[in-house]
Amino acid sequence: MQRRMAAWVRRRQGTDVLPVTLQRRRLYILPTRSGLAFGVLLALMLVAGLNYANSLALLLTFLLAGLALIAMHACHRNLLGLKVTELLAPDSFAGGHSQLQLRLANPGAQPRVGVALAGTGKPGTGCVVPANGEAVVHHVIATPRRGALPVGRLRLTTTWPFGLFRAWTWLHVTHAVTVYPRPEGLRPMPAAAGAQNGTAPRDFGEIDEWATLRVFRDGDSPRQVAWKAYARGGPLLVKEYTASGSAERLFDFDVLAGLATEQRLSQLCKWIVTAAADEERFGLRLPRVHIELDQGAAHRQRCLRALARHDPAGYDQGAAADA
Amino acid sequence: MPEQTLATQVRVTRWVVGAYLLGALLHLGQLPVWVIIVAGCGGAWAMAAAHGRARLPGRPFKVALTVLLTGTVIAMFHTLNGLEAGSALLVLMGGVKLLEARSARDRLIVIGVAFYLLLAACLASQDMLRAPAYLLQTWVCCTALLLTAHPEAPVTSRAAALLSGRSLALALPLALLLFALFPRMSGAFWSLGNPNQAQTGLSDTMSPGSISELGNSIEPVFRVWFDGPLPPAAERYWRGPVLHDFDGETWRVHGGGFRQETLEYLGRAYRYQIRLEPDANPWWPALDTVQTAKAPGTQITPDRQLLAYRPQHDAVTYSAVSYTQTRSGDQLSIVARRFDTDYAHQRNPRTQALAVRLRAAAPDVPGYVASVLALFRNGNFEYTLSPPVLGPNSVDDFLFKTRLGFCGHFASAFALLMRAAGVPARVVTGYQGGEWNPIGHYLLIRQSDAHAWVEVWEDGRGWVRVDPTGVVAPERLQRGILDLLPGTGSVPERLLHEFSWLQEGHQLWDAANAWWSTQVVAYNYASQLRLLDWLGFDNPGWQQLGWLLAGALSAWLLVIGWQFGRIRTAGGPDRLARAYLRLCARLARSGPARQPHQGPLAYADSLPGASGPMLTARELLNQYARLRYGSVLPTLAQLREFERRVSRWRPPHRNVRASPEK
Repeated sequence: MQRRMAAWVRRRQGTDVLPVTLQRRRLYILPTRSGLAFGVLLALMLVAGLNYANSLALLLTFLLAGLALIAMHACHRNLLGLKVTELLAPDSFAGGHSQLQLRLANPGAQPRVGVALAGTGKPGTGCVVPANGEAVVHHVIATPRRGALPVGRLRLTTTWPFGLFRAWTWLHVTHAVTVYPRPEGLRPMPAAAGAQNGTAPRDFGEIDEWATLRVFRDGDSPRQVAWKAYARGGPLLVKEYTASGSAERLFDFDVLAGLATEQRLSQLCKWIVTAAADEERFGLRLPRVHIELDQGAAHRQRCLRALARHDPAGYDQGAAADA
Repeated sequence: MPEQTLATQVRVTRWVVGAYLLGALLHLGQLPVWVIIVAGCGGAWAMAAAHGRARLPGRPFKVALTVLLTGTVIAMFHTLNGLEAGSALLVLMGGVKLLEARSARDRLIVIGVAFYLLLAACLASQDMLRAPAYLLQTWVCCTALLLTAHPEAPVTSRAAALLSGRSLALALPLALLLFALFPRMSGAFWSLGNPNQAQTGLSDTMSPGSISELGNSIEPVFRVWFDGPLPPAAERYWRGPVLHDFDGETWRVHGGGFRQETLEYLGRAYRYQIRLEPDANPWWPALDTVQTAKAPGTQITPDRQLLAYRPQHDAVTYSAVSYTQTRSGDQLSIVARRFDTDYAHQRNPRTQALAVRLRAAAPDVPGYVASVLALFRNGNFEYTLSPPVLGPNSVDDFLFKTRLGFCGHFASAFALLMRAAGVPARVVTGYQGGEWNPIGHYLLIRQSDAHAWVEVWEDGRGWVRVDPTGVVAPERLQRGILDLLPGTGSVPERLLHEFSWLQEGHQLWDAANAWWSTQVVAYNYASQLRLLDWLGFDNPGWQQLGWLLAGALSAWLLVIGWQFGRIRTAGGPDRLARAYLRLCARLARSGPARQPHQGPLAYADSLPGASGPMLTARELLNQYARLRYGSVLPTLAQLREFERRVSRWRPPHRNVRASPEK
């Protein structure tokens, strides 16, 4: 039922390209639960007033009925004419959340109070769009899987002023949240390249800047092995250095052979996040995307987005063609 | 449910508790005081909890409290049905609900309780004085509703109250339209237990000797609107219960068995409408003697009372036609003659002896009546509202010892004197007189106008009214009781009597009350039909009412829809700019128009003339520039001052403009 309603609304309104001004055609309004209870109260008052020919009870009933009608109009007006100017859908990691931000502009001379944004669930507390002003409403959506998560439809609602009616509008936007892979994986970061073609950290004094020791795994560089510990009779351990300064690394998809595609992407994601946090220079090599060595927030986003957009089907076909 | 800040919590709780307590207070007179006290305690507890100074009780306590309070209500009222018990229960349960009002839903339930309490208060009393309190309570409830629905809304309580007040004001026209036109049903779906209404009024017994102090309140009993002239003051007898049985001390009504004699109505007919205040008695007062009455649920008895089949607990309106004089050529039936000449023979022996003596001396019945009246007139009788208490032979005591009494004593003694001489007589109680209200054009009859007189049967004339009190104290009939006995009456009555402006104020107040009672409280289907008739509908009925209602409703919805559908943009010029543009337009009519490239200062320089209006105009343009481009935003007062100066500005006269510059 709800799905059919949604489809009907979608057909009726079409896709929205922001900015959108909320016209009557796209505003819907229905009584809330407390509005229905208020209706029951009014019906009871009416019956009592008529039954006992009680003028004051009738007058009270009619006054409150008028109030409900005024409330309906005021609720509808609270959205009418409002302009949705912009939607920000920040990128997010799989398994995380993205806080959507909808920018609203109020061209009217009256502030809009209690305007809330929701998906299909229960709307949160609203915001105020001041007269002739702007405001941003937030809505948090979960981003379970890597890729592009279409925002789909959003509901802008209000129950202002008396909470007896809820007016809302559906926004069908083409925006999508770019969802990065979940940053996880146990593979060590590829060795830094360039001038310091070794594992030793740059010279920051006597303290070794390795952070952890872990058990040796196939593929680990012999230079990273903690030979001294091994010599003392311990297990074969590998030093993992914290990255520092201007190490340069190339994260290559193909290096991670033996893992599923998503796992590889997750591993690459984790490397990128770690490298970016340590302000390292890094590059990314995906089957069809090559991002040169660089650093900074924009570079990080470019790389992560490349991961998010990676199409395994395309890769598999590509790999088959190569073979 | 997001966590609410303490300030929000306190504010919402304050409004909800306020709405609930006000709702409980509306029942202050009707409900036992302890119920209101429990409500107050609940409110205080909820407030303390909102402030964080107290903890809300746990579930076992609340369950126990609910059971205890419900049990107490049942024990007190023996029911949970009915208005009083229901209201009491509602107040108490609302108080318990306050103790668990944590979520918005709980608070909404308490506000619902407040609304139901308001409804119950309307059902319990429709006094004009209470109406403002009801309106205030509606306002408080609506504001509480708004704040509960939007606890986090960044509006002040004042703004919220203003908003709900404005919404109510916009709803008021609709309320009045619906009130006037919504079809009323006559007849109830179900009936409610008797509400406790005023139990004042006339009594079905009269024992003058046992009363030493006559209640003499100025409470209104009924109001009369006459269709045409009023009867003379001396003929304003309002008939109530007729008393037939006398046991020597007490007069009582008699069940019946009387035959209706044919009456010949003399003089002019008086048509009038009476609005009777709530009265537990079945006698509806009517001007003596009533011929026909339009009073549903009543009958005119053979002794000319307007008797309702059952007591009326609400105010009623009825109309009747009366004649102040009648005659009947019939013979009194044997049964009636026996009843109305009967008396307790072993009581009041001296009165009986006196009656026999006087009757023997008189030639006929009218002569006998005249001689008894002469006895009253010349016998040193005095009218008082505080007569001494009389013994078992009350009439003997009164006639021969005390000689002090009020209308009941005189009527009782006179009637016994008649009966003891074999002349049929009966005591009629009711009201006499009434105060003319020049504002509302009606006659107001109060409790203090209660009166008793006698009717005597004369063959060939029928029942003749004789008022012995009028012989002893004629002023009583002319001007009312306070003129007669300046020392009597309560303080407010005396004050009313002494100061005419106070009396006028009181009359205005009474007229307002009468208007409220007849036009608002008693508004019904008949009133609706009258309204339609007044609006020019032929044969008004349900259909016309429906059409009119639909039309009026649509009109209101259109206006409201238009009002709310139009989005007032703030794009146009603001107030300051509007005033400036107004000034420019007026200047352009009497001088050069402002060129598009000119700002206010450049325009001021281009204005010709150095004195008079043009100088003022220049000053104004400079002032605009200061207000508009100054470093400080103009205050509202400055803005108003500028607007005022602009609207006061007058263009120079033509000849002044033509004169050469100095």
